[in-house]
Amino acid sequence: MKKKIVSLLLVAMMAAGLVACGGNNGNGNKANETSGNETSEAGGEEEADKEEAGGEETETEEAGGEEAAGGNYEGVELTYWSMWANTEPQGKVIQAAVDKFQEETGAKVTIEWKNRDVKDILNSALESKENIDLFEDDYKRIAQNYAPYVADLSEMAEAAGYADKSYAVFQTQQKAWAQKKTGSEKFTSLAEQPQVGGIFYRKDLFEKAGVEVPTTWTEFMEVCKTLKENGIQPLALDSAYASFAFGYHLSRYVPEETISEMSKEGGWSSNADVAAAADSMIEFVNAGYLADGAPDEYPNSQNKIGMSDEVAMVICANYVTTEVNNTTKVELDWGLFNYPGVEGKDDLAASAYAGANSIAITDYCENKQAAFDLAMMIVTGENDQQMANDAGQIPADPANTAPASQNGTVEVLKATTSPLAWNMGIGENADLYPKLDECVIQLFEGKFATGADFAKALDGLY
Amino acid sequence: MKSKKNRLFIIAFTLPCALSLFIMYLYPIVRTVIMSFFGVESVTARMSEWSFNGIANYQKIFSSPTFHQAIRNMALIWIVGGILVLSFALLFAVILTSGIRFKKFFRAAIYLPNVISAVALATMWIQYIYNQEYGLLNKFLEALGLEGKNWMGTDMKFWAMLVAFVFGAVGYYMLIFINGIERISGDIFEAATIDGANKIQQFFSITMPLLRSIFKTNITFWSINCISFFLWSKMFAPVNTEASTVVPVVYLYDTVFGTTGNVTRDAGAGAAIGVVLSLFIAVVYFIMNKVIKDDDLEF
Repeated sequence: MKKKIVSLLLVAMMAAGLVACGGNNGNGNKANETSGNETSEAGGEEEADKEEAGGEETETEEAGGEEAAGGNYEGVELTYWSMWANTEPQGKVIQAAVDKFQEETGAKVTIEWKNRDVKDILNSALESKENIDLFEDDYKRIAQNYAPYVADLSEMAEAAGYADKSYAVFQTQQKAWAQKKTGSEKFTSLAEQPQVGGIFYRKDLFEKAGVEVPTTWTEFMEVCKTLKENGIQPLALDSAYASFAFGYHLSRYVPEETISEMSKEGGWSSNADVAAAADSMIEFVNAGYLADGAPDEYPNSQNKIGMSDEVAMVICANYVTTEVNNTTKVELDWGLFNYPGVEGKDDLAASAYAGANSIAITDYCENKQAAFDLAMMIVTGENDQQMANDAGQIPADPANTAPASQNGTVEVLKATTSPLAWNMGIGENADLYPKLDECVIQLFEGKFATGADFAKALDGLY
Repeated sequence: MKSKKNRLFIIAFTLPCALSLFIMYLYPIVRTVIMSFFGVESVTARMSEWSFNGIANYQKIFSSPTFHQAIRNMALIWIVGGILVLSFALLFAVILTSGIRFKKFFRAAIYLPNVISAVALATMWIQYIYNQEYGLLNKFLEALGLEGKNWMGTDMKFWAMLVAFVFGAVGYYMLIFINGIERISGDIFEAATIDGANKIQQFFSITMPLLRSIFKTNITFWSINCISFFLWSKMFAPVNTEASTVVPVVYLYDTVFGTTGNVTRDAGAGAAIGVVLSLFIAVVYFIMNKVIKDDDLEF
């Protein structure tokens, strides 16, 4: 009898354990069912196109609702997946903005701090219509990978006058990507953390050496020569950014589309400009213009800019200045100039790398206007200024002021109309990229005698 | 009647476990194998969005120079790293079971890297040992009047990573060897000593043959460890995946989730990589069972 009771208790415990373990999934499924049912209610029980129509209907109602537009969101609940941690400066500013939003509108916002790995789980979460109203990620990934699952913000953005509170470059770019992916020019996200690339330099060291910002490669080589003569090592370079640096250089000789094409199909040797670009870089390396030990392991070389008064420049995106300042605990006098162009290629001289981490709203969000208002509160005005100051980044709202570490970035970003991609097309072939990148690092290591050898090595990978 | 009741209890106890196994393991395995023959962009895409690819995913990965490099790196970790790790582990195990003093201290010290986070361990190696300017290795070379080296350059990075990884792995395998050696009765060694066998002869004629099953266990664990090698590769190439440190799991991760600056995803090819790696483990396990026989000894 005792054995039977013990056995029954054990079975009951196992069953209870299983139910408890499956509890979360069960709830998750329930939540999914709820949104699924609601989508069905709005769009009927037809296929996806009808569901989309239903979604638009809800959106129009919300957008048109006076209460929503007036900002009274009593009873509205939003879930916000953030790519930051709540201990980071960005996280703290977002938390403050959300607190303010809740206080002003009566809405209840739950922030889930997902950190950078959010990119690995977002797609699955969006596909299964998990309870997310707004989220952050790279704007390119939002416009390309998540475009089918995010709301078109065009109407709300127009009503809020967003065009005057943001950089045009991000809107045009993401609309073009979304067009490719979904067939419509969807406006998928609001830029929260703009980025721009170029050559970041220490103004004080330039002044000490008596050199001016160069605009052409010849002038740049002259600047490097003078810096070196004054005991200053011209350029820091970590191997992690080798392809970014050489990609910038190559983009002054060859259009980015051609680089992308060569990255996918090969043919580097057949383009004389590739060898010419590599030759000029070999000349740069052989002249000893790289900092001691470069290409070094990230972030050793870039940190030398702050740890000594011996290294003047680095090619990277704007966050490098904040990274160096934070790591070395020195507030450096930074400046930025666009990567110099080469003679005879004036049409390729003006472009710059630009990117952004952005905020998107899910297409199944039931309170899109509330979510949009919250996103706008974060990316414009006081909160954006606070974010720029505390996180040392470019303000998303051009009306705000860039902190000292971001000197010159707003001007370059405003002047950028067709931005270069990360690595300027070299990374277009994701599968082959590690091997291409290795060749580029070897170029900086001085392993190639001529540009033709470098181009041949690249072609050898296909 | 009684046997019917017993059967009911057996089913009641095994069913939850069997169901969990089916849902948590068998379903993903079957889905991954099927997925490897389809064109799938997102890993969680509905099956209705899949398009049949035949063996194109396998052709794609087998013709990829990056996959070749990843397999080459993994094979080198497995063979060179395996020889180093298991040799040092066995050497330390034999020394520590030979009755030396402070055995517990040395055992703990050698095992210590396994307790420390791999992230901290990798950072220590990268920043304090391999750093060109103030790293231990270059400082040592400098003291000898020799020129320092860029240990993290494209030609040395893989070996730098391997040495650091081996350093952290030895203790784990040493403990398993110690356990195996301590299982062997002292009487056998005593009898051998009386018969005139020295320590080296005892090691090769008694210890080694009686450790065959332990070798099999260690080689299997090491193989699984090498195939799932991920964190060290990421630590030695924190921003972009680099050819010198790429391994199949990192290649799989990049293929499924995209890379820095490139959002292209190919879950079908990722599944094919997963299937190839699983087959690799199965082959290693099969060969181990065939080559190392341990059921002919009783002690």
